[in-house]
Amino acid sequence: MATPIHLEDVRKEFSTLGETHLAVDDLSLDVPAGSFATLVGPSGCGKTTTLRMLAGLEIPTAGRIRFGETDVTDLPPQERNAAMVFQSIALYPHMTVRDNIGYGLKVQGVPESERNERIDDAAGTLQITDQLAKMPGELSGGQQQRVALGSALVQDPDILLLDEPMSDLDAQLKAELRVEIQHLHAELDTTVVYVTHDQTEAMTMSDQVVLLREGRLAQADPPQTLFDRPASEYVARFIGTPSTNVLSCAVERGETEATIATGEFELSVPADALPSSIDESVRLGIRPQYLHPGGGEHRFEVTVEVVEPLGTESVIHGRTGDGTRVDVVTSETAGVAPNETVTVGFDREHAFVFDREGETVLFGAELATGDAREPYDRTESQSRSTL
Amino acid sequence: MGSRGGIRRERAAGSIVSQRTQARLKRIAVYVTALLVSVFVTVPVYVMVAIAIQAPSDVFAGGQVHLLPDGVTLRNFVVLVTETSSVRYFTNSLIVTASSTLLSTALAVAAGYGLTRFDFRGKTLAARAVLFSYMFSPIVLAIPLYVIFFTLGFLNSYFALTLALTAISAPFCIWLMWQYFQTVPIALEESAWVRGASRWRTVRDVVLPVARPGYISAAIFAFAVAWNDFTMARVVMSRDEMYTITVGASLFLDRVSIGWGETMAVSLLIAIPPFCIALFLQQYLLQGFSVGGLE
Amino acid sequence: MSTVRGVDLPFGRFDERRLVLLLCFLPLGVFFAVVWLVPVLYALGMSLFDEPTGGAQFVGPGNYIDLLTAGEFGYFLWNSVLYAGSTTALSLLVGLSLALVVNQRIRGGNVLRTMMIFPYLLPTLVVIFMWRFLLDPNVGFVNQLLENWGLIAEPIAFFSTTGLAMAAVVVTSVWKFGSFAFFILLARLQAIDPDLYERARVEGASTWQAFRDITLPNLRGAILIILLVRGIWMFNKFDIIYLATGGGPLSATTTLPIWVYELAFDSIDFGGATALAGIMFFLLAATAIVYFHAFQPEREVAT
Repeated sequence: MATPIHLEDVRKEFSTLGETHLAVDDLSLDVPAGSFATLVGPSGCGKTTTLRMLAGLEIPTAGRIRFGETDVTDLPPQERNAAMVFQSIALYPHMTVRDNIGYGLKVQGVPESERNERIDDAAGTLQITDQLAKMPGELSGGQQQRVALGSALVQDPDILLLDEPMSDLDAQLKAELRVEIQHLHAELDTTVVYVTHDQTEAMTMSDQVVLLREGRLAQADPPQTLFDRPASEYVARFIGTPSTNVLSCAVERGETEATIATGEFELSVPADALPSSIDESVRLGIRPQYLHPGGGEHRFEVTVEVVEPLGTESVIHGRTGDGTRVDVVTSETAGVAPNETVTVGFDREHAFVFDREGETVLFGAELATGDAREPYDRTESQSRSTL
Repeated sequence: MGSRGGIRRERAAGSIVSQRTQARLKRIAVYVTALLVSVFVTVPVYVMVAIAIQAPSDVFAGGQVHLLPDGVTLRNFVVLVTETSSVRYFTNSLIVTASSTLLSTALAVAAGYGLTRFDFRGKTLAARAVLFSYMFSPIVLAIPLYVIFFTLGFLNSYFALTLALTAISAPFCIWLMWQYFQTVPIALEESAWVRGASRWRTVRDVVLPVARPGYISAAIFAFAVAWNDFTMARVVMSRDEMYTITVGASLFLDRVSIGWGETMAVSLLIAIPPFCIALFLQQYLLQGFSVGGLE
Repeated sequence: MSTVRGVDLPFGRFDERRLVLLLCFLPLGVFFAVVWLVPVLYALGMSLFDEPTGGAQFVGPGNYIDLLTAGEFGYFLWNSVLYAGSTTALSLLVGLSLALVVNQRIRGGNVLRTMMIFPYLLPTLVVIFMWRFLLDPNVGFVNQLLENWGLIAEPIAFFSTTGLAMAAVVVTSVWKFGSFAFFILLARLQAIDPDLYERARVEGASTWQAFRDITLPNLRGAILIILLVRGIWMFNKFDIIYLATGGGPLSATTTLPIWVYELAFDSIDFGGATALAGIMFFLLAATAIVYFHAFQPEREVAT
């Protein structure tokens, strides 16, 4: 039975040699039953620690963890019906693939005939039936990964935890297994929590992406929301490839309008759209996909450094006049060459405005229609980001 | 480009000749060294075997030592069994070697597991203590141990010798298992816990099987220390019926009734376990050397 | 903070955890206390008494002063240093050359490697029997060869001639301990990335240059450790010398370990024996401190 997961102000400190390191800082999160949540963030952001607390391998320093109605905060890993796939895969080198998959069932005292039945089922689903008699050492990386998945799903867990299970695989296998895992999730009645540092994995697989930063929640939302409405500069930059371009701009406030400008373009917004805390400067974020050579309402010049062809599209890497890096994704590369200057532009509906602390204060999309509109409400954004 | 290329070519041409000579010289040096060392290593062993399996009258016939046996005889071994207490000595050796190997390996497995699986202050100190005792001299330890065993009335007991032998083999075994357990991923155990296995069950089903090469290696070193030991047995055992084979046999040459034939025969017997280890358990031994080896 | 929690240990607080912890460390602690700590401290205490086994009288550092001012001390210390220095240097030389040879992947390299295990594993007693036979003046193979080749007129009793006994013991020791250096150096050699040699060849280095610039720097640490650890062990070696010569002839091969044994079991002077053991203990401790500071070997396990 899939179980919802609730984290309430979960905090985890590690102390080594008198130094305390805060790995997870008051994290609150809800994962609905049966959904697929991905914890994502750069290394050291606390995502693996969070997962290990869910498994019971770490005990939170403070806060509670509940699986449904059950408080599992202090339960040892043995007493939680969770299955986990480890980053190192963790297959027992001295057991056959069959025994590896069936070990959990054996520990729980499932009779051998039923055990074999369930192992055969799982192996069939994962297409590793031919490998059952082999030792893990004889398998390829992808096959080992399937065995690890098999060991987890054969237990019919309430909660399936996956800790960067694909980090050692090559790109093609990754893509293959990504589909496989989604497929399994659709079939199984289980809540999945998946940890990765790869935002592509997070964006393609999840119902909910949980982006962490230094142990804190940066944003937890469905993938498209994360892409379209990043709560901060950090989220905007982390999600999406290439990373969001960020330009420093000056702000000039008038009676009814405020102007966000660099030397090359000006962007007018209603004065009340910018919170009063904004004084002289903001940072403007534009995704590389929304910058167009020769097009767009607001234009500026970029000196091209490298052009990276990706097949149907190319990525232009360049710099603005003040040296800020700018990436442009486009299919129109005619006449674009290193050391040349191109004019690129964007429409204001695609701009994000960040304040000095990096919080998003304005989404261009909200200005798009140009009519009277509600000013962007910061408190709403706050409540979203903590869910 | 032209002149630099020319110089390069010249140098390259020069070094082709010298490289060929170098390679040839190297080959000769390699094989000569290999040959010399092989002779140096094998001759004593060969002499031991040749003398052990011939009757002394044949070996020493005609003033020169006969090292190409005409026939094989068990005469020397028969003399050992009938005229010396060798059987008793061997039994003693086996008892203390087996118990000290077991004790040392068990201590090492427990310590190695604990030291890698639990975090605590003073690990550096623990590591240094282990290393220090590992470098320690058996004779320097034998004196205090003798004094203690004497005071407690433990001299001439298997128990005392087992402890003394374990004292000199355990530090290295602990060091070896400490290093070995570091290579065993903790995720293997965690994955068993998550699947519901208790700590004990995990130790039995996962930790011990995975650590097998490590503790076989530790056991071999502990065995070798105990089997080879002379110092501790000499100090702890003073009654003839408690002598181990090394101590017992060391007195053979002083006896008129025992000659080189019997001496080499007993040497051959003592050498059998090490021979078997060298032939069949080599890889475990090499693994031990990779973390330092023993005395 | 909802609850007060204990110290954070990596695996949380399972009830079994404490038991496992206890089972891992209690036997170890008891064992170390019984065979190391108590005896060593007891012996150090004993070294401050005259005739500690009967009618003990406290003499403070008296035993130490007696030893250090005895005429033999300098001579026996010199013997120890000579023995340790020469056996360590020679076994390093033998081990290094053979390791380089076997690393060439010559035919029979594996046989050679297996062969090198024998001397290391053969009990010291057996090694002594072999060499006492080989070097025996009456039946010895070596004397026969030397006589046949006309190099000597009279057979030589190597182990009982004052000028040669030390050399004979050294040769015997190198035979047994050369393989220690061999195995450690071979393991290190095999760990060198072969690409480094390929690159050196592409860049035009000669065989010798490659050896000097790649092989030696890679072996440097191992060689230093062998010199140090092997040196300590040889300095403290008892059985091989005792069995070969008993320290004779005329103390020509008496090293400090042999002297300890003689003091304790021939002179029954336990005050002197424990004091000498104490001196050796402090020498070892001093070397260990140098070792720990220079190499930090504990980093291999405690990081």
